Amino acid sequence: MSAKPLYIMLCSGEHEKIQLAAMVSSVAAVSDRPVEVFVTMNALLPFERGKSPEERYQGGHFHELFVTKKVPDAIELFSQGKMLGDMKMWACSLVLDLKHWECDTHLAEDLFDGPMGLAKFLADAENGEMITI
Amino acid sequence: MAERQKIDARGAFCPGPLMELIAALKLGAVGDEVDVWSSDKGSAADIPAWCAKVGHAVVETSEHDGYWSVVVRKAK
Repeated sequence: MSAKPLYIMLCSGEHEKIQLAAMVSSVAAVSDRPVEVFVTMNALLPFERGKSPEERYQGGHFHELFVTKKVPDAIELFSQGKMLGDMKMWACSLVLDLKHWECDTHLAEDLFDGPMGLAKFLADAENGEMITI
Repeated sequence: MAERQKIDARGAFCPGPLMELIAALKLGAVGDEVDVWSSDKGSAADIPAWCAKVGHAVVETSEHDGYWSVVVRKAK
C-alpha cells in the first residue's frame, strides 16, 4: 500500500524551521512517500536567487551551529529530495505578487515547480496529511 | 557480478549519510552492496528503517570506534 502524500506548508523564515522542513520533506520523499511543499510568507525570502548560504538565513542558536559546523544547506537538501524522490515545491502566488517575483527568474534555480494559490494547495492536501512549519 | 562500494560519510550530519546511500543505490545494479560509514548517531537505526520501508536488504550493521558501518544490498 502506498503511503499518503505529505503536504508541508512552510511559512517561517527561521533557519531552524526551514532546515527541519528540508529534512522532513527530503527523507519522506526518498522513502516512497509523495511530498508537496508550499512555501509562503517569510519562508520564501531565503529562496531568492543569488543569495549565498551565509547570507540566506536568519535564526537562533541552531542557526549558528548550522553555519559554523557546515551542516548541509537546506536548499541543497530540498534539491536532493526532488532528485531522489517524488517531491514538488510550490511558491505562494501571493508572496510572488507582493515581491514582484517570478519563479523562473527570482527563486533558486531548478527547485520550484511553479506558483500556486492557497485554495489549490488546500484542495490537493485533502488527499494526504498536512503539517505546517 | 555484484560489487560492494564503500561510502565514508563520517562527519556528515543527518540525513546526509542516508542521502549518500540512496544516491549510490540509485546508480548501482540489483545485487550490488553499499557499505556506508556514518558517525551520525541516528544512522544505525535510520538506515535499516529506511531499507525496511522501501524494500532493500540490510546485510550487516556493526559499531566501530566512533562510527557505524551499515551494509545494504540493492534488492530492486
